[in-house]
Amino acid sequence: MTLSKRLFIALAGFTLCLTSQVFAHHSTRGIYHEEQMLELTGTVKEWAFINPHPYLTLEAEDENGVLRNWDLSYGGAAVVHLQRQGYSSDTFKPGEIITVHGNPARKAGVYGLLMEGGGNHPTRENGTPVVEGGSMF
Amino acid sequence: MDNHHQSIPLGKAKGGMKLLSMRMNTLIRIAGFTCLLPLAGYSQAASDDIPDLDGLWTFGQCPGGRFLGCMTLLEDDPKLTDRALAYQAAFDEMAQPKYDCAPMPIPHMYTDPYNYRLEQLEDRVRIYYGKDDVVRTIWLEGHGHSVPAINEFLYFGHAIGKYEDGALVVTTNKFTFDPQGLNADFRIPSSTQKELTERFSRDGDDLVLDVSTVDTFFLKEPWTFNVRSTPATSMGDAWTCELDGARRSLMFEISKYPEDPEAERIKY
Repeated sequence: MTLSKRLFIALAGFTLCLTSQVFAHHSTRGIYHEEQMLELTGTVKEWAFINPHPYLTLEAEDENGVLRNWDLSYGGAAVVHLQRQGYSSDTFKPGEIITVHGNPARKAGVYGLLMEGGGNHPTRENGTPVVEGGSMF
Repeated sequence: MDNHHQSIPLGKAKGGMKLLSMRMNTLIRIAGFTCLLPLAGYSQAASDDIPDLDGLWTFGQCPGGRFLGCMTLLEDDPKLTDRALAYQAAFDEMAQPKYDCAPMPIPHMYTDPYNYRLEQLEDRVRIYYGKDDVVRTIWLEGHGHSVPAINEFLYFGHAIGKYEDGALVVTTNKFTFDPQGLNADFRIPSSTQKELTERFSRDGDDLVLDVSTVDTFFLKEPWTFNVRSTPATSMGDAWTCELDGARRSLMFEISKYPEDPEAERIKY
């Protein structure tokens, strides 16, 4: 299976701030490179649709081509916020290929991504977004 | 009112006349009691001072389409004292109780978009929040409720309520010191001197909530907001905090105190 990863710098903090700061009791401030945007394509390992914050584990390559387990976060969003966008416990299945965009974690030695907000949802292998909803409220 | 009538026993009697007499006496007593009820403040339905708050309500939203924005105490809010700012700067994110599933404090909890239920009882009001199974009891004045001991402090404080001018006015104090007590997003603490005044009233079908918070150590002036709720049909799904979800992002936190031993959290 071929996994692709493209890293590019973008001024992408704005939309992320919208999702991560407005209702985030669990602050993501300072722990992600808000000025960097990373695209990852990989294999879903785990989708934990739990409170206070759901998370997704994706197996994808790092910048050196080494497979890593990436911890993907929706920031301060809780189950209810994602439900309002159409997410459910069945949205991601282990083994499926998806592509996500987000800010990489700052801390060395760990692999994390704060998922892009603003209704830019992960996409499936055929390019369709995993959900269509836009508002978390 | 009807409940009061039904709860008064008529008693038993053998003779018809005696029974009639007892019933007459009872009816007279009931009539007299009924007349006195509004004066004594026992009749909720008969008093204009007591609004009908009982029921399910959506989370409160700010006037003018500001959604939840009016409730947020900003990290550099001019109301914050120098002490609050210094505390905020010193206290690092990973030491916050929220990573152990500690519930949001009040009034910050109102910024969470979950419905809640008000239950009006004769001597108390209960508030059931749709998050973390938080239930607050508001002890209504005039019912001889006990008060906390002088050395007793509570996570959600001790709340005393009264009906006044068509509103339920709740005063809550005796809070524990809380490192996230004014705002859990920005590490703004609250002291044992935090005191909250909540005023619940009705405006047509809506529930109006006015909140004012004082804390002489961390606020220069009262922090106030006003929100409005509409009737809700359900509390929503059960909300349970799971430690794995709460602590997940800590793996990415960079310690403010790297020379300290790495903090290991208790696995409850």
